[in-house]
Amino acid sequence: MATKNDSEKLINAIQELAFEKKERKKLVAELVIANKEILFHKEEKSKRAEELVIANKELAFQKVEKGKRADELGIANIELAYQDEEKGKRATELGIANIELAYQDEEKGKRAKELGIANTEKGKRAAELGIANIELAYQDEEKGKRAEELIIANKELIFQNKEKEKRAAELGIANKELAFQNELKEKKAEELIIANKELAFQNELKEKRAEELIIANKELAFQNEEKEKRAAELIIANKELAFQNEEKEKRAAELGIANKELAFQNELKEKKAEELIIANKELAFQNEEKEKRAAELIIANKELAFQNEEKGKRAAELIIANEELAFQNEEKEKRAEELSNANKELLAFTYISSHDLQEPLRKIQTFASIILEKEKLTENGKYNFERMQLSARRMQLLIDDLLAFSRIATIELKFEKTELSKIVDEVKAELKDTIYEKQATIEATELCVANIIPFQFRQLMYNLISNSLKFSQPDLPCHITVKSRILKGSKLNYEKLSPEKIYCHITVKDNGIGFEPHFSERIFGVFQKLHGKEVYAGTGIGLAIVKKIVENHNGFITATSELKKGATFDIYIPAN
Amino acid sequence: MSLKHLNILLADDDPDDCLFFKEALNGLVLTTHLAIVTNGEHLMELLMGDISPRPDVLFLDLNMPRKNGFECLSEIKLSPMLQLLPVIVFSTSFEQEVVNLLYQNGATYFIRKPSEFPLFKKIIQHTVAFIAKKEQTTSTEEDFVITSKSL
Repeated sequence: MATKNDSEKLINAIQELAFEKKERKKLVAELVIANKEILFHKEEKSKRAEELVIANKELAFQKVEKGKRADELGIANIELAYQDEEKGKRATELGIANIELAYQDEEKGKRAKELGIANTEKGKRAAELGIANIELAYQDEEKGKRAEELIIANKELIFQNKEKEKRAAELGIANKELAFQNELKEKKAEELIIANKELAFQNELKEKRAEELIIANKELAFQNEEKEKRAAELIIANKELAFQNEEKEKRAAELGIANKELAFQNELKEKKAEELIIANKELAFQNEEKEKRAAELIIANKELAFQNEEKGKRAAELIIANEELAFQNEEKEKRAEELSNANKELLAFTYISSHDLQEPLRKIQTFASIILEKEKLTENGKYNFERMQLSARRMQLLIDDLLAFSRIATIELKFEKTELSKIVDEVKAELKDTIYEKQATIEATELCVANIIPFQFRQLMYNLISNSLKFSQPDLPCHITVKSRILKGSKLNYEKLSPEKIYCHITVKDNGIGFEPHFSERIFGVFQKLHGKEVYAGTGIGLAIVKKIVENHNGFITATSELKKGATFDIYIPAN
Repeated sequence: MSLKHLNILLADDDPDDCLFFKEALNGLVLTTHLAIVTNGEHLMELLMGDISPRPDVLFLDLNMPRKNGFECLSEIKLSPMLQLLPVIVFSTSFEQEVVNLLYQNGATYFIRKPSEFPLFKKIIQHTVAFIAKKEQTTSTEEDFVITSKSL
C-alpha cells in the first residue's frame, strides 16, 4: 500500500510541480510583458519628451515669428500713420485747391461784371478764363490721380489687415492646442512625478512661457483691434474724400456750362456793340444836322424873343384894359340882371293884376245889366247906367289887351315852318263879318313859308288886318294886299338888316286913311292912339303887340304912310 | 236820353257868382235841383262820398281856394266812379293854353263868364238844356268853348 500512495503522492507532487512550472512560466511571461510595458512606457515618455522638445522648439519659433510679425505690424502702423499724414496733407491741399477754386469763381464773377461794362475787354478775359479752365481741368485730373492712388493704398492696407487677422486666428488655434497639450502633460507629469521631475520643471517653465504667450497674444489681439478701428476710420475718410472729389467734379462741370453761357452772351454783346456803333454813326450824323438847325433856330428865337417882349408889353397894356373891361362888364351884367328881374316882376305883375281885375269889373257889368233889366229907371238913370256899362266894357277891353300883350312876352316860343297863306286864311275866317260889312277885298296870293311862332303870328296878322279894316276910308272899298318873299339882307332896302343874312319880308298894305309920316314910330307904342275913341274904338295896344311879336321873331317892322294914302307895314324876320 | 229833371252841382267860392247862377236857372222848362260847394276839397269829398241825389252835371269854377278846378277835374277823370260825369268849366278870363289843357283833361265844355247878365242866363240855360238832351256827354275841340256866338 504505501507505494500506491507514494506514487499517487509523487504524481500529485509531479503534477503540482508541473503546475508550479506553468505558473512560473506564466509569471515570467507576465514579467516579460510588464518589462516590455515598462520599456514601452519608457519609450513613450522619451517620445513625449522629444515631442515636448519639438513643441517647445515650435513655440520658441512661433515666439520669434510673433516678434517678427509684431515688428511687421509696427512697421505697417508706422506706414499707416504716414499714409494718414499724407491723406491729411492731400486733404489740406484739396482744401487749398477748393479755396483757390472759390477765389477763381469770384474772379470769374468779377470778370463777368467787367465784361458787361467794357465790351472790348471781354474777348481777352474770355481767353484768360479759357486758360484758367484748362488749368482747372488739369488740377482736377491730378486730384483724380491722387484719389486713385489713395484707393490703391487703402486696398493694400485692407489686404494686410486681413492677413494679420488670419495669422492672429491661427495663433489662437495653436494656443488652444498648446493649452490642451499642457493639460495632458500635467496629467502625465503627475503620474510620472518621480521620473519626470525635470520634465515637470520644464513644464512649469513651458506653462510660464505659455502664459507669457497668452499675454503677448492678448496684446497682439488688442493691437489688431486698434488697427481694424483705424482701417475703418481710413475707409470712412476715403469715402469722404471720394465724395468731395465727386462734388468738385460736378462744380467743375457747372463752371464749364457757365463759361459756355458767358461765351454765348459775349457773342451777343459783341453783335449788339456792332449795331450800336452803326446806330451811333447815324445819330452823330443826325446830331450834326440838328446842330445846324439849332443854330438857325437860335437866330429865329432871338427874333421871336424880341417880338415876344414887344407882345408882352402890349399884353400888359391889354391886361390892364381887360381888367377895366371885365369890371365894366360885371357892372353891366349886374345891371342887366337887375333889369331882367325887374322886367320879369313887371310882366308877372301885369299878368296877375289884369287877370284879377277882370272879376270885379265883370260883376259891375253884370249887376248893372240886372238893374237895367229888372228895375224901373228914369230915362236919365238908364242913360247913366248905360254909360257906366260902356266904361266898364272899355276897361275890360283894356285889361284883355294888356293881358294879351304881357302874354306875348311871357309865353314860351316855339318856332315852326308855317305856310303864311294858312295864317292869313284863318284870320280872314275870323274877321269874316267885318270884311263883309266893309265890302273889303284881301289879296293874299304871293305868300311863302316862314319860320314863325304860329300862334303869335296869327295874332300879328289879325291885328294888322283888323287895323286896316278899322281905318278904311268911308267912301272907298277897303283893299288889303298881303305879300311875302325871301331875300338876302343886302337886297332889301332896310339899313338894320345884316347884308349876308336871309330874311322873310312880309308886307301888309291897305288903301285906308293912313297917317302922317312922323307918327310912323309912335304908332307902335303902348296905348298910343291917333284918334279919339269916339271915332275909332280901340285901346292903342294892337300895334304894340305886333311890334312885340316881331321882336320875338328877332325881326324888324316899319310903317310908311301918308295921310289918306293908305299905310304899308313891312316886316323882316330871319328866314332860318 | 232826355231828362225832365236835372241835378246840378255848382262848385264856386264867389257868392255873387252863385247868386247869378241861381238867377240864371229861373224860367227853365225842365226842373232842376241845385247843390253848391264853395271849395275844391269839399267838392271832392262830396263826389267821392254818398251825395244824394247824384249830380247829372258839374259846373266847376277854376279859381277856388284849397283845391283849384284843374286838380278837381283831374281827380274826377281819374276816378272810375266819376269819369262819366259831365264837367262844365267856367272862368272869368280866357286863355287859349288853359282852354286847350282843360279839353285834354276831359272837361265837357268851357264857358267864359260874360259880363252881361242876360247873356250869362242864356248861356247857362242853353248849356243845361243841352246836357239834359244829349246822349253822349263829350264835345269836339271846335264846340268845346261856349260863347254867345256859338249859341
